[in-house]
Amino acid sequence: MSLVPERITLDTALKIINAMIRFAKDNQVFPGSYAVVDEGGHVVAFERRDIAPVSTADIAIDKAWTAATMKASGRMLEVITRGEAWRLNVKHKGRLTIIPGAIPIIAHGRIIGGIGHSGGSAEEDLKISQAGWTAIFREEDFKEEVEEKLSKARLIARTVMNIVEERNLKPVSIAVLDEWGGLLLLYRMDGAPYGTLELARDKAWTAAAFRNFSEDAAKFYSNHVNNANWNERVTLVPGGVPFSTEETFRGAIGISGNEPEIDKGVAVEALKRLAIKVQE
Amino acid sequence: MGELEVDVAIIGAGVAGLSIARELSRYSVNVVVIERNVDVAQEMTSNNMGLVCQGADSLTFRPGSLHAELNIKSIPLWPKFAEELGVPFKRVGGLGLICHKADYLRFLKMYSRAFKSSLKPNAPYYIPEGSFKPLQFLDRRSLKDLEPNINPRIQGALYDPNLAVIDPVLLARSLAENAKANGVELLFGNEVKTIERKDTYFLVNTNETTVRASFVVNAAGINAESIAEMVGARNFSYVPVKGILTDFDEETSEVFSHQAFYLPRLGDPHIRAVVPIVYGGLRVGIHLDFVLRSDKNIPLQGLEHNLKVVKEVIPDYPFEKHVKRTFYGIMPLTNAEVGWHDFIVDIPEYVPKWVNVILGPAGVSSAPMLGKKVAELLMTSGLYLTPRTDFNPIVERGVKP
Ligand SMILES: Cc1cc2nc3c(=O)[nH]c(=O)nc-3n(C[C@H](O)[C@H](O)[C@H](O)COP(=O)(O)OP(=O)(O)OC[C@H]3O[C@@H](n4cnc5c(N)ncnc54)[C@H](O)[C@@H]3O)c2cc1C
Repeated sequence: MSLVPERITLDTALKIINAMIRFAKDNQVFPGSYAVVDEGGHVVAFERRDIAPVSTADIAIDKAWTAATMKASGRMLEVITRGEAWRLNVKHKGRLTIIPGAIPIIAHGRIIGGIGHSGGSAEEDLKISQAGWTAIFREEDFKEEVEEKLSKARLIARTVMNIVEERNLKPVSIAVLDEWGGLLLLYRMDGAPYGTLELARDKAWTAAAFRNFSEDAAKFYSNHVNNANWNERVTLVPGGVPFSTEETFRGAIGISGNEPEIDKGVAVEALKRLAIKVQE
Repeated sequence: MGELEVDVAIIGAGVAGLSIARELSRYSVNVVVIERNVDVAQEMTSNNMGLVCQGADSLTFRPGSLHAELNIKSIPLWPKFAEELGVPFKRVGGLGLICHKADYLRFLKMYSRAFKSSLKPNAPYYIPEGSFKPLQFLDRRSLKDLEPNINPRIQGALYDPNLAVIDPVLLARSLAENAKANGVELLFGNEVKTIERKDTYFLVNTNETTVRASFVVNAAGINAESIAEMVGARNFSYVPVKGILTDFDEETSEVFSHQAFYLPRLGDPHIRAVVPIVYGGLRVGIHLDFVLRSDKNIPLQGLEHNLKVVKEVIPDYPFEKHVKRTFYGIMPLTNAEVGWHDFIVDIPEYVPKWVNVILGPAGVSSAPMLGKKVAELLMTSGLYLTPRTDFNPIVERGVKP
């Protein structure tokens, strides 16, 4: 009877992220991005702290993906490839990220997921990811305070999940983006298919980029461009909602998992409960 | 609530904390050891193989790691260390078993690498002549002469005549008694609950006492993570690994008298080793598993694995009838995702006057050097150490710590 998780649930992933943030703070590492993926390399939870560079987001996610799908840590892969890892980058559209800070989550004698951190030096990234992995072997909970934007994003995600549960809807993926379309938070509720991840993120991106409901974004350019495929991120499906909180934090949320209109309804309701303005 | 003011507070009365305490008792400093249990060595130090890595195996540790450094530097210190402390130190000799030609090549490679890193006079950790007998390869026949009951399918072995076994609990007890006789204070039944970091000192709060210490050594074994977190001094991570061991009764000493181990197999994380116990009997293991620190469960697979191992080495003996007990120890494993364990003995960047000590595998073997290393670290962080003239290195039993 051991309580080490058999698979990466959202709760486990959040514990891992909190442990990483705790470690980063203790060791005074600059805020970065934190990603946890499941066995298949798909994000379960992702968070980026407020002043972390936007581009660390995808590095962290891709590191975690690399560790989970190569079933080895970045450090090990570096040694195996003798520093020639860039050769692999012609594959997977350059997604393989063979840099320390990518760690497979090993438990019960197999690999159940991956962890990626980006934002520090290679050494710091590695230590922070290790701190995340080892947290699954600890009973303590790590409740970490985070900066203003991320904590708001966490609040929104929590509220969305509560509403989904109250209304007995299918589990969803939730993305929260900042004003510039940079990913701040990406959660996948237990049971939500991984296909919803990119959909949620792209809906949110569409809403953030056009400052409009995702489905209304077409208004802006349909006269000039007759094919929405000019940008693969644009997703003209309901579920992406822009918001602003008293000028300090503007961004967008994207939800995917149910019928698009329902997803949109959940997003709007969550913002309403938190008294955050839907911004059109 | 009592209060105490000391120069150095050591948290944990395992072999790590106590060997540091004993080393510091050579100097005129006030030292206290804080332990949550009512006696010494109640955790990792009492639940291990009892091996003192002396040759072949310490030389296989990754060159350049602290793990290798402390163990190899301890080799020449051990005989005197054990004698002063009155602990039986038995050189049983080790056999690295060779089942295939590939095993032979692997041993050869490790051995030559070890020579490069340790045995030449200009090597980083030179082992003085005389403290180390050369290793040798045995063929099937000479192996049979040495161990008549060994599995005839085993083709040979790398023989290490230096390898020794001790009783780590007795070692811890002697260290404690000797330290106490030289002025170290021991606080049992004191679990560290919180630590406050002040400008120039720490306040270590236990369930009974508050200790005001200028320096703290965190040697809390598997609990070191939580202790370090109390002051933001955690700059390391480890996975708790439960190792399950099985003891066989004294009669089994008659069938086998050396330590023997197989090289690890790909895809098999468990260790396969047979070790004689100092007082007789054999200890076999180790079934390994990543667990929670509080995991007290001993799964049946543990005993099954250990029985299988001992029967692989010595096939024609009814070991089932000689099982004495199966038990576990939980050790911290660092860098477990790549399998490059290393000790942690250092001062965190943002918490000066604090030393983290995390040993894990082969921690007992590094005891003689560990104390010296930590004393050095404390000195570099500002502890003034003047040798005492009245230090008595010889243990006198019965001081009752
Ligand atoms: C299965 C197994 C086999 C091994 N085989 C070998 C071997 O063959 N050879 C070898 O050299 N090494 C071996 N080792 C490793 C060796 O046992 C350890 O490295 C060594 O015992 C570590 O000692 P320690 O003092 O660091 O830890 P411990 O002995 O665990 O001591 C830590 C102490 O800190 C105390 N403590 C913890 N928290 C608190 C608190 N909050 N307040 C107060 N006190 C606290 C604990 O009670 C404990 O007494 C083995 C380990 C295992 C698990």
